[in-house]
Amino acid sequence: MRLPKFEYAEPKSIEEASSILSKEDGAKILAGGTDLLVNMKHRVETPAVIMSLKKIPDLSFVRPEDGGIRIGAMTSLKSVYSHPTIAEKLPGLALAASSVGSYHHQVMGTVGGNLCQQNRCKYFNQSRWWRSSRALCFKAGGELCHVVKKKNICFSSYCGDVAPSLLVMNAKALLESKEGKREVEVESLFTGDGKSPLGLRRGEILTEIRVPRECQEGFSTYIKFANRESIDFPIVGASLWASPDTKTVRLAFTAVDRKPLRARKAEERLSGGLQKSALEEAVRLVLEEAKPVNTSLYPASHKRDVMGLLLESMITKFLGR
Amino acid sequence: MDKDWSVVGAKLPMLDAGAKVKGTAQFTDDLVFPGMLHGRILRSPLPHAKILHVDTSRAEKLAGVKGVVTGKDIADRKFGIVPKAKDEYALAKEKVRYVGDAVAAVCAVDLETAEEALALISVDYEELPAVYDPLEAIKPGAPRIHDDVPNNISTSIRKEFGKGEKAFEECDFVFEDTFYSQAVNHAPLEPHAAVAQFDPLRGEIVIWSSTQIPFFLRRNLATTLLVPESKIRVIKPKVGGGFGGKIDMFAKDFCACWFAMKLGRPVKFVYEREEVFIATRQRHPMYVTVKTGVKKDGTIHAQRFWAYADGGAYNSTAPLMITLSCYFLMVPYRVPNLIYEGHHVYTNKPVGGAMRGHGIPQARFAVERQLDKIAGRMGIDPAELRIKNSIHAGEDHPGGFIINTCGFAESVQKAAEAIGWKEKRGKLPFGRGVGLGGASFPSGVSNMSHLASGAVVQLGQDGAVTVLTGAADIGQGAETVIAQIVAEELGVRLDDIRVTAADTGITPLDPGTFGSGVTVRAGNAARLAAVSLRNKLFDFVARKLEANPEDLVAKDRRIYVKGSPDQGFSLLDAVKEYRYADLPMPIIGRGSWMAPAQEPTTLLKGDGNFAPNYSFMTQAAEVEVDTKTGKVKVVKMVTAHDCGTPINPLLVEGQLDGSIIGGMGQALYENVVVENGQVMNPSFLDYGFPTTMEMPEMEGIQVITDDPLGPFGAKESGEGTQLAPAPAIVNAIYDAIGIDFDKLPVTPEQILKALREKISKPGTRKKA
Amino acid sequence: MKHSVALSVNGDTYDVLISPNETLLDVLREKLGLMGTKKGCDLGACGACTVLVDGEAYLSCLMLAVNAAGRKIVTIEGLAQGGELHPLQKAFIEKGGLQCGFCTPGMILTAKAALDEEAVPTEASIRRKMAGNLCRCTGYKKIVEAVSSVAALSGKED
Repeated sequence: MRLPKFEYAEPKSIEEASSILSKEDGAKILAGGTDLLVNMKHRVETPAVIMSLKKIPDLSFVRPEDGGIRIGAMTSLKSVYSHPTIAEKLPGLALAASSVGSYHHQVMGTVGGNLCQQNRCKYFNQSRWWRSSRALCFKAGGELCHVVKKKNICFSSYCGDVAPSLLVMNAKALLESKEGKREVEVESLFTGDGKSPLGLRRGEILTEIRVPRECQEGFSTYIKFANRESIDFPIVGASLWASPDTKTVRLAFTAVDRKPLRARKAEERLSGGLQKSALEEAVRLVLEEAKPVNTSLYPASHKRDVMGLLLESMITKFLGR
Repeated sequence: MDKDWSVVGAKLPMLDAGAKVKGTAQFTDDLVFPGMLHGRILRSPLPHAKILHVDTSRAEKLAGVKGVVTGKDIADRKFGIVPKAKDEYALAKEKVRYVGDAVAAVCAVDLETAEEALALISVDYEELPAVYDPLEAIKPGAPRIHDDVPNNISTSIRKEFGKGEKAFEECDFVFEDTFYSQAVNHAPLEPHAAVAQFDPLRGEIVIWSSTQIPFFLRRNLATTLLVPESKIRVIKPKVGGGFGGKIDMFAKDFCACWFAMKLGRPVKFVYEREEVFIATRQRHPMYVTVKTGVKKDGTIHAQRFWAYADGGAYNSTAPLMITLSCYFLMVPYRVPNLIYEGHHVYTNKPVGGAMRGHGIPQARFAVERQLDKIAGRMGIDPAELRIKNSIHAGEDHPGGFIINTCGFAESVQKAAEAIGWKEKRGKLPFGRGVGLGGASFPSGVSNMSHLASGAVVQLGQDGAVTVLTGAADIGQGAETVIAQIVAEELGVRLDDIRVTAADTGITPLDPGTFGSGVTVRAGNAARLAAVSLRNKLFDFVARKLEANPEDLVAKDRRIYVKGSPDQGFSLLDAVKEYRYADLPMPIIGRGSWMAPAQEPTTLLKGDGNFAPNYSFMTQAAEVEVDTKTGKVKVVKMVTAHDCGTPINPLLVEGQLDGSIIGGMGQALYENVVVENGQVMNPSFLDYGFPTTMEMPEMEGIQVITDDPLGPFGAKESGEGTQLAPAPAIVNAIYDAIGIDFDKLPVTPEQILKALREKISKPGTRKKA
Repeated sequence: MKHSVALSVNGDTYDVLISPNETLLDVLREKLGLMGTKKGCDLGACGACTVLVDGEAYLSCLMLAVNAAGRKIVTIEGLAQGGELHPLQKAFIEKGGLQCGFCTPGMILTAKAALDEEAVPTEASIRRKMAGNLCRCTGYKKIVEAVSSVAALSGKED
């Protein structure tokens, strides 16, 4: 499948990149290419301009600092999990990054790119010809959602592996534009809208992830449940972070909703001591907050089962540490 | 077995391994010709519809488009590998019958233009009601998919041996179970492709095609293009896997030739991966009901089968498939009384065709699963039950099979031993278990035509040997095996042999790679050709030595009198003398071989021995079921395998390994998911077949039986080993968690659901 | 708009005129005539298109050729030195780590990247790094054996 035609830009600075993004309606950032280019071959994304960030200096780094760990958005997933500080201090993030796709995807893919990936749906991630069997879906520019069979709504799932690990660490994102910089919670990047899953302002570029210092202690993990042990997107992915005194517990899931999900009700129940006895209720609470729908080959009911299983596995792992 | 062979029986790399590791092995898409054009095919987005009108005008006007063709433009000639089952046009005429049916094709200066042009073709369809389940499709009132097939049953077979239904009255116990096998895609790494060229002066087409059946392809192209076979040359380049999916002519073959003829330029068509999933072939989903009657001691006395194969929109190999599915219920167990009813049913879905095992894996799944159930119900050990019912060499066979060699009982014993059967079956902790599955497969099957394979062997003055064979190597190493056979007969090394194969313009006829007949059929032909060549040389050398030709031996590049190695010539010297005697060079030997039969015995006709020999095997699996997640890990798979004599054990091991992973995929991971006729997962991402991470420990055990009809005693090894891994794994799952699964694939979702139900309904079945 | 790009492939420099929407895979095969890199799915899910980019295993079907400028590309054609096969190539031949050969270039290059990174990896590590290279013929066993045998060689040399 050929890629559609586009203008290609290699800005040398954030200002230049931001200008292009602001000016061009249909401009997209090219990071590793493993998400965007597939979607372009399928013609579900056809940006008029593609902007590679590779000429912009200092976007690929892992910097342990006093205030925490800073990770450049263009750092490859492999560089993230191979970095000794991350492997040691942020094992959950290392697990997540090393579970993305296959080894090749980890080499090519970036932490920023994985975080900002397009939402997914079995009716959306298909070729143009395949999709011609039915009306254009809302996400692809039509009216109807084929999953829930309603108009002007999109239930596509967010399926990135890295996001939940960042969410449980209350990680921050640095967004830069020619107007300036702002730091936001990674969680707030996600709109929960399947059609436009990312809430960046016009001209804004994610340049950095910042993990607070406190997360370098305690217990963190990520479990990915997928069909195979490589290549696949998660059927469900789950992250947990617990503070050393276990008084603070944070839980997040991916591939169960239109955005990566912090399971706050369950967190509350589990905070103050992770115990098996609280598990059943925690699972129930988690399921109250997640609303998986049948956007993939794996039915929502199965995803719900798996969410509970993963929560249980993470707690078991925590208790056995 | 004490055979003093130099080349046969040795673990040797494939002849073209060097080219493959260097990336210089040429596959169809690697071929480039000056002025070459590129084609793409427009396919139906609807499962069932009348084609009212195809408007290609906008596509034709696009700069760079050189030609467009639709069903209207092509001859009213259907194609199909089985003559009586031809039901498909290269491009659909009047009607489309599945999502993916080829409607039109475009040829342009580059791929980008061709793709753009596809989008400019408008087709007016009148949608028709569609049917997706074979059991629905046979009901009165169901949408009729082919006009001449009122009940959508394109082929049926009913066979009865022995006393039929009456025999059940003589049984002590009768069991009946129904099973379902899912649609599986071959998913070869190389997509289907073809490049064609045309010589207007001689009116000759040359087509390079990624195919398993060059000669059948030639025939189908001749039929549909209205060009004599003699004017079509089919050349098979390296093929990146087939597994049965590249048997048949495809739109890409037809259209490449069509445009080459019309435009006078080379034309290439390469399928997108989603086209391979949707619009080539797949393993037929099948419902199989088995009724088995046994005696008190577990002896099988009668069996009856009802099978419904979901054929998809067209026949492909339907009559062959459904017949094979039947006949191979008669091995490896003795079934004195058998009734089989099989139906191939049309549905508005992707087309079923030959896939490794060709109808037998589905039937095998049913039989092997039921055997375990019977074993459980009767308190007999499943391994013993299989050994008890095993056929043996030389027995009278109800279907008329002639079984000269049979290592089945031994394979059960060896597989069971290797997996640790006695220590493990019924004894492992909950979640772990072992299971067995047995099978048998023909080494080549007789068809209505192209029964024989021919070979020519030439010995040049420098001692190098050229073999011409029609055999189609698709990666299994057919050319290497043939070369080994020739090398052994001529007493030379593998390095001395060059093989030219699968070119209908040069090489003798061969049916192609299907039915696992290549080693026996093409191997025997090559062997005969080598012997014919050797006889000429021996006659000459014998005269020189004043010896008897029968007393000569060719070995280690020498020809000498048996027992007296000094009394002879080096091969080079012998050839030199031959040449100096003004005898014609190169020295040529010819041979052809066909499976022996007393009377025309064909699959479609009826009884009789329709394979020269039969392979036998047992697979044993050990699994670990994670009862929390439902995931099944196959810890180990053992195959005990009777392929007569392995000509090249390295290649046979490769077949075993590949078959096991394929069987494991079928059991646990793979499924062509279809919704309203549309394949939902036509990608390597979503159709998840196993990666290195899923690979179990694998062990292969050879059971040597040395068959009289196979070259050097060989029997097939390419397909038989994919018949039983799935039931072995599912039988092991039963041992692990006490749950019977009668449908494939067995996914984590299924297991979790079943475990939940088991907990809520205690006291169903005890572990065997 | 076409870009004029200098691509370094297997130590040679190729000056090519390419559109931004051409993938490295297509440029290698169609413009440079290097057919050893294969197109199995064109969507990054099979690894048949693997090439080395500055020594790392990349899916060339998901890389824009313009992005390959200034990087060192190695395809399967660049592995053998003169007439001498690379140890991985020899091992694949000897161990029977191939059948149809279509996945083989990608397999070998990924293996090379893996061994360059970790000279004596565990079998688990080999399998993990090669899990993005699909094979339908071999069942992977002899492939992993081939790679392990080369790793064992390096181990001995140390």
